[in-house]
This record gives sequence, structure tokens and C-alpha cells, in this order.
Amino acid sequence: MEPIRSYASQEIEQQTSPIEPQKKPKSKKRKVWVPGLLLLTPILLFIFGFFVIPMLYILYLSFISTDNLGGVEAVYSIKNYTQLFSDSYYLSSLWLTVKISLYSVLVALFLGYPVALTMAKSSARIRGYITLLIVSPLLVSIVVRNFGWYLLLLPNGTINQTLMALGIIDAPLKLLFSEIGVVIGLSNAYLPFMILSIVASLYNIDPSLDKAGAILGASPFRRFFSITLPLSIPGIVSGCILVFSLSMSAYVTPALMGGANVPVMPVVIYDQINNLLHWTFGSALSYILLATTVISVAVFTRAFEKGKFKEVFR
Amino acid sequence: MEVLKKDVENNRQHLEAVQGVGSNKNDVEIKGAFKQFGANVVLNGIDLEVKQGELLTLLGPSGCGKSTTLNLIAGFLDPDRGEVHIKGNNVTKVPPYKRDLGMVFQTYSLFPHMTVYENLSFGLKLRKVGKAEQKKKISKALELVKMSGLENRYPRELSGGQRQRVAISRALVVEPELLLLDEPLSNLDAKLRHELRAEIKRLQKEIGVTTIFVTHDQEEALSMSDRVVVMNAGKIEQISTPTEIYNHPKTEFVFQFIGKSNCFEGNVSAVDKRKIAVKIGSDITHVDTNNVMGNESDLKTGDEVKLYIRPEKLQVVSLDEKSSSPLDFHRAKISQMNYLGTSWEINVLLQGKSIQVLTSAFDSSWQNGSEVLIGWSPSEVMLVKK
Repeated sequence: MEPIRSYASQEIEQQTSPIEPQKKPKSKKRKVWVPGLLLLTPILLFIFGFFVIPMLYILYLSFISTDNLGGVEAVYSIKNYTQLFSDSYYLSSLWLTVKISLYSVLVALFLGYPVALTMAKSSARIRGYITLLIVSPLLVSIVVRNFGWYLLLLPNGTINQTLMALGIIDAPLKLLFSEIGVVIGLSNAYLPFMILSIVASLYNIDPSLDKAGAILGASPFRRFFSITLPLSIPGIVSGCILVFSLSMSAYVTPALMGGANVPVMPVVIYDQINNLLHWTFGSALSYILLATTVISVAVFTRAFEKGKFKEVFR
Repeated sequence: MEVLKKDVENNRQHLEAVQGVGSNKNDVEIKGAFKQFGANVVLNGIDLEVKQGELLTLLGPSGCGKSTTLNLIAGFLDPDRGEVHIKGNNVTKVPPYKRDLGMVFQTYSLFPHMTVYENLSFGLKLRKVGKAEQKKKISKALELVKMSGLENRYPRELSGGQRQRVAISRALVVEPELLLLDEPLSNLDAKLRHELRAEIKRLQKEIGVTTIFVTHDQEEALSMSDRVVVMNAGKIEQISTPTEIYNHPKTEFVFQFIGKSNCFEGNVSAVDKRKIAVKIGSDITHVDTNNVMGNESDLKTGDEVKLYIRPEKLQVVSLDEKSSSPLDFHRAKISQMNYLGTSWEINVLLQGKSIQVLTSAFDSSWQNGSEVLIGWSPSEVMLVKK
């Protein structure tokens, strides 16, 4: 596959591609407020016209089989799907996407949790400043940000030169156009979502619980693992879901930071549709990616909501 | 229950053997505690001694420093100056988790992700109590607060009163050196509050654990405590038994804060050894000399003073009924009468000032505008120099 760097500018529109999974919040049994429903009409129409219909159209496309020249062979065929599962290239791409997303989640979690903890313990004013700092990367275009990473991660970039000057490494590390580069880029891009989710959860913990733990004899270390951490699980779960879903569907960062070396699903799909004009096969791949994300998120959430700490979700 | 009581008793005997102390030993001593948040002085030199086995209440309006005092004892705050001693040890710099205390909070503060049993075993595990022993202690502690059988419930599944009972047993199960109660009844409704009030009092006596109770509710303080500490603006106003606090308040603040009060203003017209004569408008009334609040022993004729008297210490009689009792009687006019069931609340105008009287002696001929006599004993009036 060709490196996709050159398509960066076209990609901005692609960012909001219909591949993004939608996770609906768990609905509670409540009476529908009729005027509220009326107020929702514009957005419902918008979503229906510009999201639901295109998604259904793509679903329809995915069930059309074509020959190599693009001629329609059959409508309502599962050939696109069977082709995907019979070709190890696509399966390994799917696995790569999941793997990179999981790594990004872990990196964001371990970098983000301490920040969230600091924020939750700060005064309102300090918290405001930290929030501003955390969301400030979101103000910069993702393309610009990725080119910034280029300068740092190139074989003769800042990081490699520093490490070599310090004598820690002899030859430059392959940071760019590798999985590491993509994980760095994705976890950096989606860190704010992780931090803000966890902060919201930490902030909801009654501070007197920590006092109660202390009076009962628990050291700060013990209190963190017995009280604070378990009670922040809802925030951790939602942060992980956000970062995972966003990473699964990310296109720009893997395309720029990984290129042809890291063919994650969105990159492969883009290639199929825009370069090879395999619209129907690309559509099937999109739906497989979507299904993988939705199922992973569902299993993950379920595991926590039914697990040892189910009480914290109530 | 027996086991817990016995353990406590053993503990005490052990302590007494080690330290050679009797029951008049202080469990807590606060010496010259001073605490400031920014420019706001919350504790302005507090000295306090809590005796072994007593239930001591810190009472005062919000912001008086009572919670800060409790937090100093718990270790959540350090005093800027001064020391905190618990059982003879200076713990001023010891963190809360090494103080071995039990505490109950206003918001229950049960760990929401743990069952009742797990909440109670939390402190026991930290004290390395064996599994079997834990089980025994927990079931005793739950029995003590009548919560047996709810071990596997989560706090969410309990009512407010039940949660606070569990919180109390969680504090007691570790057999703490002290029990600290930080407005534990404030979030409960009136009926539950009464119920738990009696229960805490019973428990405290049964177990004999030295207890410090913080409240802004005077009824709670008076009904539960062995001694009450009335605080105001970072200072201690008075430390006494509930009856002393109510009947012989030492300061104007205590008189006004506890119970209802009437206030007159007047001038000292004569002073002798036993009584002080005070002129209120055209009337003269008398006050016992030992009812002077504060330490102004140098009252002179002409000094401006305030007199305080509680509504239930006043008597109302019809004009023709002037008895030979040693009361000072004054002419007044009824302005309003409210029937309260067990008594009447009568508002009268005396020298143009509205005075409230609570009495069960009532004459059916009285009505709004009736002229009556109100009287009081010189021993019931408190005097403070203006």
C-alpha cells in the first residue's frame, strides 16, 4: 500500500466518518416529557438524515458483490464478508487496530490518572487552570499536532538526537512509521477524554469517605487502593471506552505516524474506497470495524458492571 | 455485647495498671490550641480536658470552632499552636490513621462499594484481626445497634437511620480509644433523631468509651451529655453539666444560645451583699449577687445592666391575686396568648417591652389586653453589665 501522508488534507472531512461507533447511555425508565421531545426534533432529523441514512446505505453497499472491475455480480451477497475472513491481511489489520487501541488506552490511563487525581484534589481555581491546559491540545488541528510529533520522532529528530547525545542509544530508534509512533500519537490526542472522565468520577467521591478510611486506620496508600480507586472505576471505564472507540476509528494519526507500516482498519478502508474504488468491500470492512468496537465496548462495560465492583455503578 | 464490654473493661484495667490512673484521668487534653485559616481565626486558644468514660458535647453555632476542635482530636487538622494529648500521649503531629479512634460523620460515610460486613471488617483487617475473630466482633457490634442480619446489604439498600447505625457500629467494632461523633444526627428526621439520640447515650454508657459529640442542636447536647462545652467565635464560653449550663449560664452568650430568654435593660439602683436592686423604667427588681454573669464584681449604683430570665421561670397572676410569695411582681398587659397543649405561651407588655411567658397556670378570664402581674424570683434572674 502507498503511504497515505499525501492525503492528509483531504482527511479532515473524513474525521467525522460514519465509522465512529455510537454508545448510547443506559436508558432508565422515565416518562417521556412531550415538549422535550419536540425540542429534540431538529437534532433527531439531522441525525436521521446525515447519519442513519448514510449508515444504512453503506450497510446496503456491503451486501453487494462486485467483480474486479467494479461490475455488480449480485445484490444481497455475503461475499464481501467471507472475503474478509478468508484473507489474513484483513484479519491481521483488524487485530492490529485492536492492539494499538488497547495500548493507547493503557498509556492514556497511566498518564491520565495521576493528573486526574491531582485535579480532583485541587481548589476550584487551580482545577480550572489544569482543565484549560488539558484541553488546550484539542485547540490545535490534529494534522498540525502530528507534524509536530514528526519533528520529535524522526530518526534525526529531537528525541533520537537527545538519546544518542546522552549515550543511551547508539542508533536512532524507529519511532516514526511504527506502532510506537501511532500509540504515542493516539494516546496524546485522546488523553484529555481520559483525564476529564476520571476527574468527573473522582470529584463525585464524598471526601468524608477518605476521612472515614483514615480514622479506621488506613494509610494514604491503602486508602487509595481500597477507596479512591474502586470508586473511580466508572470514570476509568468511560475514559477507556472513549479512548478505545476514538482510537479504533482514528485515521489521521495512524496514517501520518504509521503510514504503510501500520495498516490499521481505517487506513485500509480508506485505501479500498478511495484508491481501489472497492466501495462495497470497503463498506463491509467499515461494518466489521464498527461491530468489533461495539462488541468490545459492550463486553468491557458488562464485565465491570457485573464484576466485583458492580456497586460503584449504581 | 458482653465480649465487647469485657474487652473494653480489660483495656481500661490494663491502662490503669500501666499508667496508674483512676477514673478521673483525662483521656483527651487540648492545650492552648490556636488555628487560623487565612485571616480567619477559627480557634483562639482552646483548653479542654475530656475525662475518661464521659460523653462530652461541643455545642455552638456554625463557625464557632466546634468541628475544628473535633478535627484536631481526630488529626485531620494540625493546630497552628498548642498541643493535643490522647491518653497521655502527645499526638499533635500523629496522622489520623495512627491514632486508633472511631468516628461517625454527618453524611454516614459508609463505603458504598462494600457490604455492611465489609465496612465493619475494614478496620479489623487493618488491625490484623483473624477471620473468625472478625466475624464474632462484627456480629456483636451489629447486635449492639440492632442491625443483625443486614451484613450482606450494601449501604445503598439501607435507610438513613440504618446507615448511621452501621456507621456507629463500624466506629465501635475496632474498640477505639475515643469515639468522635460529628453531628451524626443532623441528616435524620426528627423521630429518628430522638430514637438514635437515646440509643447513642445508652451505648456510650454500656461500652464506657470516652465520647466527644459535636452538635449545633442544644436539645441534643442537653439531653445526651455528661458535660457540655459551649463554644462561640473560636473560644470556649462555658464547660459544665447540662443543668448548670441551662440554669446558671456563665456568659450572656450561653444564656441567649441555650433555651429561650427574655431580656430587660436597666440601671443598678442599690447593691448589698445578697441582692442587687435594678431599676427598670419605673419598677425596681432584685437579682441575687451570685447570678451576676461574667466576672464584674464591681457593680456600682447607676451602672447600666441587662437582665435575662427564661420564659418558664416567670409567673403570671391576676391583679387581685398578689400573693405573699417572695417574688418581685410587676404590672403588665397581655398582648397575645398561644395554647401549646401542655402549657400556655403568653406574650405580655412590661414597660413597653414584649416579654414571653411559658406557664401552665392559666386564668380563663385573661384575654388580650388584660392587666396582669408577672413575677419572678431574684434567684432566677441573671444579670450582666452592659
